[in-house]
Amino acid sequence: MESRSLVVVGAGIAGTAAAIEAARAGVQVTLFDENPIPESMAALNAPQFFGQRFNAVLHDRALMLERVVHANEGLAEAEEAGVDVQLGTCVWGAFRNSDTSRVLDGPQLGLANRDRSWLIMYDRLIVAAGARDLGLAFAGWNLAGAMGANGAHALMRHYQALASRRMVVLGTGNLGLNTARMALDRGIEVAAIVDVSDSVRGDRALSAALQDMGVRLYTSHTVREAVGRDGEIESVRLVEIDDNSEPVAGTEKEISADTVCLAIGLVPNVELLSLLGCDVGFKPELGGYVPVHDDCMRTSVRDVHVAGDAAGFHDGMVLNTEIARSQGRLAGVAAAESLGAFDTAEATARRRELTGTAINSKPTDAYANWTRWLRALRNAGGSDVPVCPCEEVTREDLIGLRPPRFLKWESERRDGRSLGTLAPDARVNPDQVKRLTRAGMGHCQGRLCREQVALLLAEASGSDIADMPLMSYRPPVRPLPLRVLWSHDESEQVRREWAKWFSPTSPVLE
Amino acid sequence: MDRADIVVIGAGVSGLSSAYFLARAGRDVVVVDKGIVGGEASGRNGGMVSERVDEPLLIPMAVEATEMWATLDEELGHPTEFVQEGRLQVAVTEKDMGDLLAERDVALGHGIDVQLVEPTEIRDLIPGITERTLGGLFFPNGGHANTQLTVQAYAWALQDLGGRLYQNTTVTGLRIVDDRVTSVETTAGDIAADVVVGAAGPQTGLMAQLAGVHVPVAPARVEIMATAHVEPRFPIALVGNGLYGHQAVRGNLIFGGGAHEWIDVDLTTSPGKPNTPLIRNIARRLAELLPGAADAPVVRSWAGVVEQAPDYRPIIDILDYPSNYVVVTASAHGFGISPATGKVVSDLVLFGETNIDISGLGLNRFADYGPDWREKRGWTPAPLRY
Repeated sequence: MESRSLVVVGAGIAGTAAAIEAARAGVQVTLFDENPIPESMAALNAPQFFGQRFNAVLHDRALMLERVVHANEGLAEAEEAGVDVQLGTCVWGAFRNSDTSRVLDGPQLGLANRDRSWLIMYDRLIVAAGARDLGLAFAGWNLAGAMGANGAHALMRHYQALASRRMVVLGTGNLGLNTARMALDRGIEVAAIVDVSDSVRGDRALSAALQDMGVRLYTSHTVREAVGRDGEIESVRLVEIDDNSEPVAGTEKEISADTVCLAIGLVPNVELLSLLGCDVGFKPELGGYVPVHDDCMRTSVRDVHVAGDAAGFHDGMVLNTEIARSQGRLAGVAAAESLGAFDTAEATARRRELTGTAINSKPTDAYANWTRWLRALRNAGGSDVPVCPCEEVTREDLIGLRPPRFLKWESERRDGRSLGTLAPDARVNPDQVKRLTRAGMGHCQGRLCREQVALLLAEASGSDIADMPLMSYRPPVRPLPLRVLWSHDESEQVRREWAKWFSPTSPVLE
Repeated sequence: MDRADIVVIGAGVSGLSSAYFLARAGRDVVVVDKGIVGGEASGRNGGMVSERVDEPLLIPMAVEATEMWATLDEELGHPTEFVQEGRLQVAVTEKDMGDLLAERDVALGHGIDVQLVEPTEIRDLIPGITERTLGGLFFPNGGHANTQLTVQAYAWALQDLGGRLYQNTTVTGLRIVDDRVTSVETTAGDIAADVVVGAAGPQTGLMAQLAGVHVPVAPARVEIMATAHVEPRFPIALVGNGLYGHQAVRGNLIFGGGAHEWIDVDLTTSPGKPNTPLIRNIARRLAELLPGAADAPVVRSWAGVVEQAPDYRPIIDILDYPSNYVVVTASAHGFGISPATGKVVSDLVLFGETNIDISGLGLNRFADYGPDWREKRGWTPAPLRY
């Protein structure tokens, strides 16, 4: 199996900075990035929340590749520094030995492009996999046109393929304001920016500039529903909320728009780190479960580093990209040092120059803001709203622990069961609730719903959100067709000795 | 001290079914588990229900179980997502075909309804299946269920009858006076009991050790995967090309197979269940078997830890010592036979015997197996490679 000295996952700001830093120190670096992603994956809202708002140009693989390269200045710099850049290649799995999986020759990554999958080994790994959009439900968010800020950014910046004409942005943090500005720059009308808070949360100058350009800001407002026809959003109904996040009668307004962009928060992509067994901890100010790391961006697992949004995201990072860049360079320095490309003195000197910018400025509790949104959306929209759009599980299905609706199950005994009767038995576990309701079991594997599921479960069971365990991640962390995941390189021995089930002749992994 | 007529150790499918049938008979039952309901193999397997023609000693229990499954939802009052549209075993090699014909003879010998089916019929039964099958064997009574809904259905049904469920409660010891277990010591306190049922899955051997009894079982990790839901649907459980599995009612293809890995477990922690790159090989086998589904995206894979007795068969037995300790371990056959397991265990506890034939499942068949049997058999964890 092919082996690489240093693998960097993700060619965003942090990942390219890490790759360049290590390559310039003389390390053999391979940088993987999944963009451009295949259209089939884009349609599944995984990994990016595109909300079907991409245009047909996504078909054109060569053009997309050209645009992705063009949009990312760091890539050219990385290639100049000698980095082996592999685009259109996702990392869907990470495997290493443990007490209960002992026979791998070394840590391995599962990779795939549009056509096939393969495995490689590595000596050092830097995960700079970015963050994904926080999903919060409102009626109609399962229509085409409801999308996430990160998805919108990717479509605007990397693909030039955002098929929106008129957008409503949810969230007045920098994430929302920046999304609005980006949209305006590309000729997309921004009909409104909405927030449940009573004042703009993000940068004042940027907010003033947007208002000067005619953008209406609705603070102390929430979404009642997105209304559509033929599966497409046509308008958004907003309503004012009071201090208790309850809708105020008579304040409803309908705004015509084909897109609602959720820009309320981002959640670090910790899938691969979780598969590798890196310690994660709940940090509400950094977007939830984030990897534990030291000042050199080393995780708890030897040889694995993290950088950028994947290490923890806060709204201040939207306008200050130096944080991610410095984290990336720190990770690159640490990897290079551990591979012997930097001596300790050199590495220490570089770290000294970087540490100041890499440390996050004081972020605020994102979960407090998300909780306020969640309550306002629920108060205005009711409980018959799908929290898990993939599996069509509503808020009331979730809290009632209802069996999937397609089973059409009815019994009095069943009706006596809910989260309230489960909670006294054992600490509420989102994985257990998933198994009973299917919330988070769809093709996006809970990337759209897991935070709000955890928030709803915590609220309904009276638990602290910090005590809600991380819903598990499993490979493949990208939805891969059977024909792609297919082991084209299967050995004759595996082929010959395959076991259906335990029997006197069944082979053992060894 | 807390007390119950019967304490069941293990909230897997065997323990919960046993507890349910004992509670239904009016007994006061407590189920103790170090984790959550069905957190291990019981909630993670392929959900297959069959008459186990491949294991003739199990046929009486398995036949009873398929009959019980047919009304299990109504019995429990909670859905299991059981679908009884049959189970089809297809041959893709000459060797498969030989095995299949041999199984047909066993089935007919036991009076089990089976039908040989031609490749053309197979393609009608399973849309998208490979054209390279040589033939198939159809078991009309087979089926599949949702493993996670099933374990919870047993658990809720038990609670509906007044049974108690102590999750996240670890057993730390068994108190033995004379030749009886008098109480189960747990992190939630001691529980006095008249009878103790050890249904501890991979921990079966370690649990029995607390009672001074040697039960030879070895834990192993196995892997399985699921696709997103795909059309068209087939309701028949399917075995072939080295895989077993089914299409869930929702439409997901859930298939497993391939080499297992022997591991060690302990009494207090939940063993890690990592997948390995083997999932690529499972994906290939599935695409070979169902070329029509080759575009189906794989969304998840997972692993489970199952225990195996040396002859790959369950052990269900009331011990001579301690005389009120029942061993229930299913050697990875537990899910499908679970209703019958509950009935058998309940019979054994209440009457000391059962009218379902379980001869051949006693512990005494391993009387010659010493503590070093795993080493001798080569069923020990591989050395850590790095």
